[in-house]
Amino acid sequence: METKSSSSSTNLVDQSVCPGDVILDLSNMTNQTIKLGGGLRQDCDAISVMKAGRLRFSKPNKYWVENSQKRYVPHAEDSVLGIVVDSRSDNFLVDIKGPALAFLPVLAFEGGTRRNIPRFEIGTLIYARVVKANPGMNPELACTDASGKAAEFGALKDGYMFECTTGLSRMLLSSPTCPVLDALGKKLSFEIAVGLNGRVWVSAASPQTTIVVANAIMNSETLSGAQQRIMVEKLLERIH
Amino acid sequence: MAGKGGSTPATYSPSPTTDKKKPSLFNEDLARPDGRSFHQCRPAFFRTGAVNAASGSAYAEVGNTKVIVSVFGPRESKKAMMYSDIGRLNCNVSFTTFATPIRGQGSDHKEYSSMLHKALEGAIILETFPKTTVDVFALVLESSGSDLPVVISCASLALADAGIMMYDLVASVSVSCFNKNLVIDPVLEEENGQDGSLMITCMPSRYEITQLTVTGEWSTPKINEGMQLCLDACAKLAKIMRSCLKEAVSDSQE
Repeated sequence: METKSSSSSTNLVDQSVCPGDVILDLSNMTNQTIKLGGGLRQDCDAISVMKAGRLRFSKPNKYWVENSQKRYVPHAEDSVLGIVVDSRSDNFLVDIKGPALAFLPVLAFEGGTRRNIPRFEIGTLIYARVVKANPGMNPELACTDASGKAAEFGALKDGYMFECTTGLSRMLLSSPTCPVLDALGKKLSFEIAVGLNGRVWVSAASPQTTIVVANAIMNSETLSGAQQRIMVEKLLERIH
Repeated sequence: MAGKGGSTPATYSPSPTTDKKKPSLFNEDLARPDGRSFHQCRPAFFRTGAVNAASGSAYAEVGNTKVIVSVFGPRESKKAMMYSDIGRLNCNVSFTTFATPIRGQGSDHKEYSSMLHKALEGAIILETFPKTTVDVFALVLESSGSDLPVVISCASLALADAGIMMYDLVASVSVSCFNKNLVIDPVLEEENGQDGSLMITCMPSRYEITQLTVTGEWSTPKINEGMQLCLDACAKLAKIMRSCLKEAVSDSQE
């Protein structure tokens, strides 16, 4: 068995990597600091990959593996779409597609006090922010931004929610605006909330528009920018 | 049997493995039942994302052996289980009733689940999902020999597809011993007539073996030769698995 480890990772950046691949040989690097993101680990004098995905690099020195999966691993400051599954005296239990249910404290709302505790029925869809996500503990959510304002967070009424991969939800939230949303936004009027946990909520005036938007988003995962625009045009031709 | 307790069944079919004399599997020009040479593996095919409902899944076809593996989780461990700083791995291997030539014969392999668990446990970074469980369900659709190595390789691919943190992909290959001959990746007829078998499960990139299973009588030189054969085959198999995984990543993140 032979292993060819690359001394420099430049040839692997933006390439597909698998568990066990060595992306950096530290024995050749002196007085350099590198930051390791998700999916990478230091193994003696080598930096090896722990999960399948694409190796990404951001200047000056950060490496991470970006991948698309069906399960969500909670991270602090992520915006997620959760479903209330239970209500307790101090907090709501919310399903965010993670390994464990998340806690949403009853006071984690704008101006939250004991007097005005919100009442959510089981099954309510909530747009929230992950506040704490420590391993071995249930994640904690809040329906406020960092400054304590409600902003866009809270319960989502009506609309249609569907599930996708974490990679697709990341693509929809990317900057500049994702081509599929850009193309749809020019022709249709709708409201959308994307959770980094692989849930998307769409609300539009007519069910027809909602279905078109949802289908366009679900179809766009494996398409390039140009292909996404063509696909949206073809979908819109059918309804006009 | 609807008759009395002591009555004999109306029909009798002899078991193919109870023959006193082993049939000659190899002809004079050293070819195997399927025409391969002794040190030649069967063609392998892998595909990820076979089961839509699972967190990760893979389908493997090695010769006529067909396996599908689904991975669910990580999900919260049952309340009955004690707190654990590391994650739990739960493995289950089952056979379809039509997997084997004799209907329902696949259920004989009860130990496959624990062997799959042992093979994968060393490759998964269990510390990355404390308090939770990852379920691995393998289903053998068609059994044509060397089932467990195919199940292990396919399961490792399914785990990688599910985004479970792993030290490396796991590849597995088995070797059968016939008198002085070593036969790699044996088919069902060869397994039924073998003198001994050796199965290696390894992480090729790290030069680490996660499981070694030996049955029958082996001399030390023979074991060394068999291990080297398996390790070389594992390295080749891992290349196929990697290319499959990279292809899947490229497709999903174009």
